[in-house]
Amino acid sequence: MYGWIWRHLPGPLAVRIGTAVVLVAGVVALLMFVVFPWLEPLLPFNEVTTQ
Amino acid sequence: MGSVEDTRQGIGHISGALTGPDVPAPRRGRRGARPDPVRTVVRTVGEVLITLGVVLLLFVVYEVYVTDWLSAGKQRDATAALDDQWTVGKEDPQRVDHFEGLKEGDGFAKLYIPSFGPDYHFTIVEGTTEKSLEVGPGHYTDTAYPGEPGNFAVAGHRVGKGAPFNDLDLLTSCDSILVETKTSWYVYRVLPMSGEVKNWAQLKTSKPHCNVVGSEGRVQEVDPIPADYTQTVGMEIVKPTDGSVIASIPHKPNAKLAKSSQEPLLTLTTCHPKFSAKQRLIIHARLVDQHPKDRLPANQPPPEMKES
Repeated sequence: MYGWIWRHLPGPLAVRIGTAVVLVAGVVALLMFVVFPWLEPLLPFNEVTTQ
Repeated sequence: MGSVEDTRQGIGHISGALTGPDVPAPRRGRRGARPDPVRTVVRTVGEVLITLGVVLLLFVVYEVYVTDWLSAGKQRDATAALDDQWTVGKEDPQRVDHFEGLKEGDGFAKLYIPSFGPDYHFTIVEGTTEKSLEVGPGHYTDTAYPGEPGNFAVAGHRVGKGAPFNDLDLLTSCDSILVETKTSWYVYRVLPMSGEVKNWAQLKTSKPHCNVVGSEGRVQEVDPIPADYTQTVGMEIVKPTDGSVIASIPHKPNAKLAKSSQEPLLTLTTCHPKFSAKQRLIIHARLVDQHPKDRLPANQPPPEMKES
């Protein structure tokens, strides 16, 4: 999977590393700001009220 | 790996060029043969599992740190809005707190726990929805307001989201919990723990914060409250379904007692143990003093703030 992505990144090594870092950062940001905030209320870790 | 293959391809090209045009350049080198499908599947499954592990770790980072950071901004905004609101009506001659008409998520008071350090302050917002609790500790809408007879009940996160109630388990009897409103500072003190009630008369003499002389020379009594309140102790751990801890008379939701003769209490609720929603940690405190702001030096907190 990662090997396939790496082989399909264009440009010389430096550009490929740059692109890879940007891709990873994008995925992390997507998780942190979209996926996790959506997921969190569905999980039972944060119930602090009674009733 | 990629760079090594590149080099090899390059050599292939060069050698191909040197030996003449009819020798085909090995385009994909050693891996020209079709890759073993089993190998590909196993490797991909491994990569997916590792990825899921990393995502799980990221979720922990999100819960413990990122939500703190997101909530800090919301808490700052709520505090700024409340400060504005308090400054605007400062010349209000009535000097009475108004709590009616509060909307979900509106800040209306500030919470200080001096034993958690001078930096510990949170703006309390109205309501206990998930959204309100991201801003700060939230007031259970149908309970009393600060200083009123009855139970001023507040919920807050234990981990993440600013974690206002992270250390509630460290509170001991007589620790002060201060609530600042527009006009007053209300001093609540944590009630005696269940194990302390019996020997309280003796115990309280050894605890410095149990005999503080407050405003107008009165001693701030933290004695257990008799009659209907015998089950109300400083700290308890209850089931999540036990809504009676925030009743006007804790554990006695059906007791009939005129509002005016109800004890003014403060109840804090959070999850327990940390990182779990299995139980609830409950702190009960009673109102022991009130400092109207116009009787304190301008913009000065009350003397209880220096307790640690």
